Amino acid sequence: MGITHQPAGHKTATTSWRVVDIVIAAVIAVSSGVIFWAWNSSHHLLDVLFLAFPPSAALVSGMWLFPAVLGALIIRKPGAALFCEVVAAMVSALMGSEFGLTVLASGLIQGLGAEVVFAAFRYRTFNLPVALLAGAGAGLFGSVNDTFIFRWFPEYTTGMLMAYIGFMTISGIVIAGMLSFLGTRALAKTGALGALASRKAATEPILG
Amino acid sequence: MGTGITMSSASMLHRENDTAATVQHRCDAVSVSARNWGWRHADRKQAALSGLDLEIRAGERVLLAGPSGAGKSTLLYALAGVLDEDDETYSSGELLLDGAPAAQGRGLVGLMQQDPETQVVQARVGDDVAFGAENLSVPPAQIRRRIIEALDAVGLEVPLDHPTSALSGGQKQRLALAGILAMGPGLVLLDEPTANLDPDGVLEVRDAVLAALDSTGATLLIVEHRLEAWAAHMDRVIVLEPGGGIAHDGTPGELFAPGPVREKLIAAGVWVPGYTPAFDPLPAPGESAALLLEATDLAVTRKRGARPAASGLDLRLGAGEAWCVRGANGSGKSTFALTLGGLLPVGSGTVLATGELAAGTEARPYHWRASELVGRIGSVFQEPEHQFVTNTVAEELAYGPRHAVKPGTREPLFTEREISSRVEALLSRLRLGHLAEANPFTLSGGEKRRLSVATVLAAGPQVLILDEPTFGQDANTWRELALLLREELARGTAIIAVTHDADFARALGAHEFVLASPATADGTAPAAARPGLLEADVRGGTSFLGRANPLAKLAAVALATIPLIASMDWVSSGIVVAATMLALPLASLSVPRFLARGWPLLLAAIFGAWGTALVGNDSGAVLLDLGLFDITEGSLAAGAATGMRAFAVAIPAVLVLFTTDPTDLANALAQKARLPHRFVLGALAGMRLLGLLIEEWTTLGMARRARGVGSRGSAAARLRANLGQVFGLLVQAIRRASRLAVTMEAKGFGTAERTWLNASSYGRRDAGIVAAGLLLGTGATWAALALGTWNLVWS
Repeated sequence: MGITHQPAGHKTATTSWRVVDIVIAAVIAVSSGVIFWAWNSSHHLLDVLFLAFPPSAALVSGMWLFPAVLGALIIRKPGAALFCEVVAAMVSALMGSEFGLTVLASGLIQGLGAEVVFAAFRYRTFNLPVALLAGAGAGLFGSVNDTFIFRWFPEYTTGMLMAYIGFMTISGIVIAGMLSFLGTRALAKTGALGALASRKAATEPILG
Repeated sequence: MGTGITMSSASMLHRENDTAATVQHRCDAVSVSARNWGWRHADRKQAALSGLDLEIRAGERVLLAGPSGAGKSTLLYALAGVLDEDDETYSSGELLLDGAPAAQGRGLVGLMQQDPETQVVQARVGDDVAFGAENLSVPPAQIRRRIIEALDAVGLEVPLDHPTSALSGGQKQRLALAGILAMGPGLVLLDEPTANLDPDGVLEVRDAVLAALDSTGATLLIVEHRLEAWAAHMDRVIVLEPGGGIAHDGTPGELFAPGPVREKLIAAGVWVPGYTPAFDPLPAPGESAALLLEATDLAVTRKRGARPAASGLDLRLGAGEAWCVRGANGSGKSTFALTLGGLLPVGSGTVLATGELAAGTEARPYHWRASELVGRIGSVFQEPEHQFVTNTVAEELAYGPRHAVKPGTREPLFTEREISSRVEALLSRLRLGHLAEANPFTLSGGEKRRLSVATVLAAGPQVLILDEPTFGQDANTWRELALLLREELARGTAIIAVTHDADFARALGAHEFVLASPATADGTAPAAARPGLLEADVRGGTSFLGRANPLAKLAAVALATIPLIASMDWVSSGIVVAATMLALPLASLSVPRFLARGWPLLLAAIFGAWGTALVGNDSGAVLLDLGLFDITEGSLAAGAATGMRAFAVAIPAVLVLFTTDPTDLANALAQKARLPHRFVLGALAGMRLLGLLIEEWTTLGMARRARGVGSRGSAAARLRANLGQVFGLLVQAIRRASRLAVTMEAKGFGTAERTWLNASSYGRRDAGIVAAGLLLGTGATWAALALGTWNLVWS
């Protein structure tokens, strides 16, 4: 018989990744990577808005965090947040990034921030509060990485660093958490998620 | 490997040795039987199929027909073993291949779907043919032979490293067939394999299928709407009944001969051979038909400055006239239609609205706002989903009229009352009333097509332009479309249809506008030959670094980057920048070519330097006072270090990017770094879809403008339009990914073991590259320490 490692009848294991989960996660991640790349080369245009207080630039950093939350909300498997964020980072690095290969490490840490939140809810709850928390987690991990591990801003005072962390966490909540949640519901309405565990996302209770 | 060779592949191996001299080996054809079998999808309330009893003998060629919604595709997917069972699906009875459950039959079965773009998994032709065989753990030496045999059998004569993205739709389908043949399946399943192809492509794919089956003797099960091309070559036709069971079962001769069965099939929308819906000829529009749109010495192009896709085009379009635009693939038909529709700027020459259509304002349609365009010229795209912009069918119909304005003004064209009466009329005219509140994306294929035409008609355009409106449609949708467009003609609307469908052109009484074949020396579509966004440059790929293992390059860059992360000083950064520049020849990169790729990084570094110079700790003399901030000697030095560090972090990666093919990287990650191959190859497949999505982005922009979505207004309007377009793209991306996943799964992807056609190697060159990276990292650190500039960022 053909080579098969699949059990004959039931494949109920909700934590295992199917091929369709992997490929859709990959496409979300790769598309996000292109958005990163476009964002990398254009976000400096907004710098002028944050001149008065440079750490406030972290208010738009959620743009680098959304694949983690969006991927996990759509795929609903362990590791989805991590996978989407890392692959997105890798694609943006392959296309040429001002952060070079360090984006891989950043992606890993940001993805981890969202992943721990979904894991804490045992990959069973994907409502709005969890999405917002996951966005906050990605923002917190990402900003601590920027400020204290990679030290991108050696010129900042401690107060400025703390402000940066606060701003990026807020950005994570709004851009990565809120927008991903709304996006997932809108996608579910189109029927595009029919093959995935999130196919009913649009009719699930928002807070429940 | 090893354990991966099971009985079937072992016997296949044996067979192949016996007949190594023949071009194609015969396989053991597989029989199919269904016993009271049924299936309900997780996202549906009703079963797709139920109570199916069916026996198909090994080697039979069976055409599966039936109205849409009869579960034809579901049956094929189940036989291919790609229907996932979970808590929310429901199945009953048995579905067997050679007596064993179909869910275990991977490797016995090959499946081809209708969308050519998602039948291709890999970036290079040879790799793509090999993909299924690799998943079945066929030894690489044998795969190499099978690739040649399979490409030969489908008549695809391109080099093995030819980019799959450069193939035409028909070639992609033949490539998919080759990949299936290389797996040596005993049952071949084709799900509308030619629905997206023009008539030449249909014959090209059909002949390849028949020739391949003649040599392998495999069982064939094919689902098609258009039976003309296939019926004569089939042993048997099975017509499924919506809701369950078989309606008819017999030879093509029995079922398609004049009689009640044929009539029933026609009524169900099946394209039985020799049938076309009949219409009375339309009265010719009077000689005095008012001129609406005029193209003069027009050249059309998708990209400004590129060689035109077609030129010297002249067309005078009068009210109530129909034109059908014909021509070979690549002759610029769609580009012509988009240009006439005011969606693409003219290459040269003119497109001018006249008389009533111009309404005394700007005459060039491309220069109209979307809201001025939508009430005057309507364009219907080939893919209906590209034009859906709202959440319900009713809103979708109201969108165009609500956004339409009187030419040259911002006054609405319709009152609220007029809008709702137009929506009502269209809903009932197209029998979509019961779906008014449904999400447009969830409609069936025929419903989507009807809706997409209706949404454009809703704003009452005087000119209607359609791109291949009848592709993949069943006979009922076809007939309704023709009737609807005939009503529009009678009302004085002018129609331009890009179509290969001669019957459709006849039903509209259309004049022919034939575009000359592309008169290029090379004959291929020029745009497709460029490497994709993520593919290594050809020159970079053959350079010293191009032949190295991607992991070695990544490790070297990582090692050289460590001191840059650790220290904020200009010496270590400067050394890494200098070393990178010196290494450019190893990647066959000249400085200008490097800058062409790396300038955004340089720009980012300068931004970073500027920011630090402004806000950095002030010390020394003040050089520039900007009020709140100032630049001092101290902050300037800090800025220079920041900028140099950012640049040094960024540019070594360019060397990797320029010389690394994602396919090689994936091979190395799975084979050498031992990452799970399912995730690595899944990500690679996702990357391949990217080029497609970028093209789709442009198409979506035009399709949405044709619906009246303005993207030329205020910043807020642009942002809204862009967000909507991102969403539209994401929907398409996920749909494509779902189909691609089915393709990959049907090719046996997802098992624990597989073989690799291209072994990832690690040699002395690679060890040398890692050593060089290490040397650079330590050297830069040592130099900075020695010169006293080392400045640990964590201190």
